[in-house]
Amino acid sequence: MTARETEWISIPMTVDVPYRFAAGRYLTKTLTQLRDNGRIFAVECPRCRRIQLPPRIVCAQCHVRNGRWVELPLEGTLVAFTIMFLPLTDPTTGKPHEPPFVYGSVRLDGCDSVLDHLIHAEPDRGKVWVGMRCRVVLRPPGERVGDLSDIVHFEPLPDQSRPGS
Amino acid sequence: MKRNVAIVGGGQTYHRARRHDVDQAEMVNEAVRAALKDAGMTMDEMDMVVLGNMEFFEGTHMTDCWLVHATGAYGRQGLKITTGGTVGATVVCAGAHLVASGLCDRVLCIGFEKQEEGDTGAILSGVANPLWGRSMAGAAVGYFAMMGSSYMAAWGAKEEHSAMVAVKARQNARKNKYAHLKLDITVEDVLNSRMLAWPIRMLDMCPASNGACAVILADDKTAKDRCRKPVWIRAMETAHNEQFELDWRDVKTKRPIFSKVCAGRIYGKLGVSDPKTYFDVFEIYEPATWAELVWYEDLGLCGPGEGFRLIEEGKTNIDGPIPVNPSGGVLSTNCIGASAMLRVWEAALQIRGDAGGHQVPKEVRRALTTAYGGTNWTVMIALSGALDD
Repeated sequence: MTARETEWISIPMTVDVPYRFAAGRYLTKTLTQLRDNGRIFAVECPRCRRIQLPPRIVCAQCHVRNGRWVELPLEGTLVAFTIMFLPLTDPTTGKPHEPPFVYGSVRLDGCDSVLDHLIHAEPDRGKVWVGMRCRVVLRPPGERVGDLSDIVHFEPLPDQSRPGS
Repeated sequence: MKRNVAIVGGGQTYHRARRHDVDQAEMVNEAVRAALKDAGMTMDEMDMVVLGNMEFFEGTHMTDCWLVHATGAYGRQGLKITTGGTVGATVVCAGAHLVASGLCDRVLCIGFEKQEEGDTGAILSGVANPLWGRSMAGAAVGYFAMMGSSYMAAWGAKEEHSAMVAVKARQNARKNKYAHLKLDITVEDVLNSRMLAWPIRMLDMCPASNGACAVILADDKTAKDRCRKPVWIRAMETAHNEQFELDWRDVKTKRPIFSKVCAGRIYGKLGVSDPKTYFDVFEIYEPATWAELVWYEDLGLCGPGEGFRLIEEGKTNIDGPIPVNPSGGVLSTNCIGASAMLRVWEAALQIRGDAGGHQVPKEVRRALTTAYGGTNWTVMIALSGALDD
């Protein structure tokens, strides 16, 4: 007798799940300032003084209500990055980011948190490094929509080179 | 703990990329039957069933209901738990609470994942805040890549060091009959594998596995009456990070990151001053190579910035003084909802001396296990073969 291969059935299915999120009292202020004035605002904890971005109602560490708004400069330092070689799907649009591209975490000057975004640098390990200084590049006024995509990317500040190079 | 809690049995499936031969229930049932057989118990003896997996990975909510026939939970007490990558350990943690409190004497704990059935990348993006950074949150690989770039910049480690972790994991997996990626690879193979997100290559990452694990927890009396080799849960701890503020994108952070906080608390409970000599084996949650190096440091197995020296010197090899993940770990098998439970079960097997081909070649009395949930919180469980330990 010859062994017959068993047929296993599996059924494909695509699910489209739309959401609509409220930004809330704190983040709405930051997003409207970003959209209307091209400025970035964070909140400071009255107790530990940490500057928190995105802004939120309670300081997780101190259990107190965050109050004072602080404007951040549009420049900061790259603390970690990757050069992405996968066509990473943007979950907010369903479209892929075209590889290779650089993205990373930037600590805006004076802020305690980091902001992840695209880094407008060549996907070359010699051209991007931890410690690199960057600035925020915004969409032109009038084209901004009030979400994080109003930041196009970070771009490296001119006249700097990789340490040790 | 008010009452002692023992692992009196357990079991797992063979872990594979493809399991078209079974549906979710049939796969889970394989692990349940293996655990009951190992414990020498029947389903009727279970007071409660606790089940966990990654929410929506398989496209179904309420898996506790859909799988009720396969888990044995029909008509008895049951709980469903969903805490991301930690879930397998959280299920054990919840089961231990039930036994320790006296609410139950015997609890069946189950973790599973059938990764091939859903778009895990899409579902994982739901871990990120929808309005802040989700656009970049398409895969875990980017996060671990940033951890790697921060680690190298901070401490001077090289890509060869992460490759050594990849080799250790897959060589250990070759000794484990249940493991998914049993690869006979070298450091060169890892460095030549496809770049996914610098510095992470294909062989630096865990696979997407299908599989399940089940363990049975019991009270003192059941354990002593019914179990030849009970393994005792001596301590459990959990800790969370604060989102946005704190993680390994800055490995030099001085703030109280969850992994160090959790380790500090569990060591405090047990009176551990030197974890690398107190524990005989570690089963840690390392979905990427760099994560293992950071765990070494956060667990205090070495000083900050010295993790890559441990792997370089072979200290964490299966026959080294500090064996880490002799099973092959998450890097070799990642059926996510089961992965954190597999750490606990594999550690228990080591203490029982039943790990088979990947049993560490020394006496194992105590073990420590860790888990990740979105890399921002952890569950740690300390096990021992003796109650007076």
